[in-house]
Amino acid sequence: MREILSRLLATGGRLRSAVSRDESDGDQLATDGGATVKTTRRDSLRNSLPVEWELIESAPFWLPPVLFAGFFVYGAIAWNFLLSLTDYSGLGGAQYENLDFSMYTRMLNDGAFWQAAQNTVVLLVVFTVLCLALGLFVAILIDQQIRFENTFRTIYLLPMSLSFVVTATMWAWVYNARNGVLNQFFRLFNLEGAIVGLLRPAGVNAEVIQWLSWNTTALAAVIFALIWQFSGYAMVVFLAGLRAIPTEHYEAARVDGASTVRMYARVIIPQLRASAVSASVVLMVFALKAFDFIYALRGSQPGSNMDILATMMYRVAFDSTQWAYGSAVAIVLFALALLVIGPYLYSEYRRGEL
Amino acid sequence: MTDDNSNKRLTRRNALRIAGAAGAASLAGCGGSDGGDGSSGDGSSGDGSDGSSGDGSSGDESTDSGTQYSTLEVAHWWGEGDGLEAIQSVMDAFKEQHPDVPFDENLIAGGAGDNLQANIRTRVQNGNHPSTWQAWPGNNLLPFTDANLLKDIGDSVWSENSMEDAYLQGVKDAAQPAGNYVTVPLNIHRINNLFYNVEVVEDAGVDPISLETPSDLVDALSTVNDAGYTGMAHQTGSPWSSFQMFATVLLGETDAETYSAIFVDGEVDANSDALESAVETTQSYLDYIPSDAGSISWTEANNQVINGEAAFLHQGDWAAGTYITNDLTYGEEWDHVTFPGTDGYYALNMDSFPYPVNNPSPEATTLWCQFVGTTEAQEIFNPKKGSIPPRTDVNTDPFNDFSKDQIEDFQNSDAQPPSVAHGLAAPPAVKSSLESAISSLNSGASAADVVSQISNAY
Repeated sequence: MREILSRLLATGGRLRSAVSRDESDGDQLATDGGATVKTTRRDSLRNSLPVEWELIESAPFWLPPVLFAGFFVYGAIAWNFLLSLTDYSGLGGAQYENLDFSMYTRMLNDGAFWQAAQNTVVLLVVFTVLCLALGLFVAILIDQQIRFENTFRTIYLLPMSLSFVVTATMWAWVYNARNGVLNQFFRLFNLEGAIVGLLRPAGVNAEVIQWLSWNTTALAAVIFALIWQFSGYAMVVFLAGLRAIPTEHYEAARVDGASTVRMYARVIIPQLRASAVSASVVLMVFALKAFDFIYALRGSQPGSNMDILATMMYRVAFDSTQWAYGSAVAIVLFALALLVIGPYLYSEYRRGEL
Repeated sequence: MTDDNSNKRLTRRNALRIAGAAGAASLAGCGGSDGGDGSSGDGSSGDGSDGSSGDGSSGDESTDSGTQYSTLEVAHWWGEGDGLEAIQSVMDAFKEQHPDVPFDENLIAGGAGDNLQANIRTRVQNGNHPSTWQAWPGNNLLPFTDANLLKDIGDSVWSENSMEDAYLQGVKDAAQPAGNYVTVPLNIHRINNLFYNVEVVEDAGVDPISLETPSDLVDALSTVNDAGYTGMAHQTGSPWSSFQMFATVLLGETDAETYSAIFVDGEVDANSDALESAVETTQSYLDYIPSDAGSISWTEANNQVINGEAAFLHQGDWAAGTYITNDLTYGEEWDHVTFPGTDGYYALNMDSFPYPVNNPSPEATTLWCQFVGTTEAQEIFNPKKGSIPPRTDVNTDPFNDFSKDQIEDFQNSDAQPPSVAHGLAAPPAVKSSLESAISSLNSGASAADVVSQISNAY
């Protein structure tokens, strides 16, 4: 951001110097000394403007994007917030006369909302932490100057290039209770009975593991599948961070007699802060958008086990046509996303990187 | 100097902030006013003033250009198999009768109608909906009638072809969600069926005909299970199958009045005992379903009945088509009984074609709706679809033996309760919340918990 601005500024400055050079050339031709007077007057005009001159000069560059983003992003968010204050539902139009927070109070009394919010937070935290941990581990392994490094990197990153719809279908097969790969694997080692005994929720009478149906395993199964898909991304970000660390740091740690674990824990990993922060922000936003995966798996009625705010918002707005309530859920989701991104943006701002 | 500057003027950053905020605010204002416009437009169409203008345009059309019809756009979700073939035959017959009506078939398949319904909701709000579309009648249409989006076709359609006399009361009720006729049912599927594999139940020593109550079926499933078969072919991946099963169990344990009181009128708390009992019975069935019910479709589950691995299937009578296409003989290899406890009831699931106001082709749509209500169209559609005609005076010769039995059951039925899982009994918002409750039922929530969710849905 800052870089773009400074570049814009430099361009503006160059343009201005080009223009003023022309002017001064003209002045030099006309009279002696007149040019200086004119320039001073112009400068005073510029000085009297409430904003910096560069800002006005660079307007063609920054104004259109601001207007477009303002209209299509922030305008839409503002309208959505306005909708959430109405009682809009059904197929008529929204009435904007009586604006109140009734949709939000209704949300507070809605068990489904709390269940979805809880699932969303659990998904967000567990998915991000495990994804970062796994990504870091794999990145460190790949950083050991192994053979076929590029091949491995590609293999780990490939799942991310697949659509959620594809991976959801695939994982539905993997988790199939009767002939899914996962249960077959456990059956191979005669572990199925033990796992059923361990995980089976009360009141359920089954002899095989129903990963996507049991309330003990459904959310975990979704999180596991998402980690499979996105740990490759964390790996790539960490790998780039690792590559930026000079070899001298490793050598110095070795010379000082640090063990491998100690070297990573004390010297290398602390230097990956920037990678970890940027990767976790992206992953958390992905987690908030896990809608596609769950929708492809279960449709708009995923059940309370794996209902997240995004699926609830879709169901309430587009299945039940309770537009105002759906908007209110969407605003909560938006606030969650801001909570994730806000601190990141602020810290970057404080560090002068924005 | 620089300090001076920053004190006197806004810094670049602050200016950007202000400009951005101002831009966003002004644009939000635009957005808001757009919304206002949209709402006023929709509102006026809701008032019916636009509706009358729509009729006005129909008048223009007839006076100006005589028999010049506008294009008739018919949207439906029968994307494959029986349904597609059936509706296309009906469309062909219509085109033959009315060659001067420009016809536009709009197929939006997928999601068991969800895709079409979402599409219609959007198009209706934008005011560019099709001439008519496939829709479940009954309370499913309440959002449309609440917004005055459907026209009363009592005179223009229902008075023709002696339709009023030929339809049974339950069906006519479903065609008038707000008290007047707005839609024309084309076909009826029954929900309270119990299909079974004859060989399997005989081997297990169960007599389906002797089952009298829904809880008798639990014992039968247990017996079948002990004999080494899957009791009930079923899917729990999406809630609708358990939803219709639960509704049928409730109908079997109570009666049509209680059923309607609960699902149509929302008298949940007064009937919580009956509901809890139905939840528990349904959950006992779920002990005998395929172990992978959570990740298969109902057709995959039904394959177990076809292959002789499972005994029973509760499903709408569209399931009959799967046995027939697999060359199984009705009465010998597969058979059907009315779901235990629901004798005399024909739980309705229907498809219909409503008549929207602001119709892009008013006269052609009237012709189409009239045609859908004729014995001719229903005789073409229903044998192919595996459903039965809503009219009671349709020639039964083209139907297979199973459908003939169903038609007989229908015509002798005491009551035709509307299906709640397929939109007839409850408006979409309620239905969606009920489905969430059924999701909890599927995952083993306590009966009291499920019933309180059902109560919150209304």
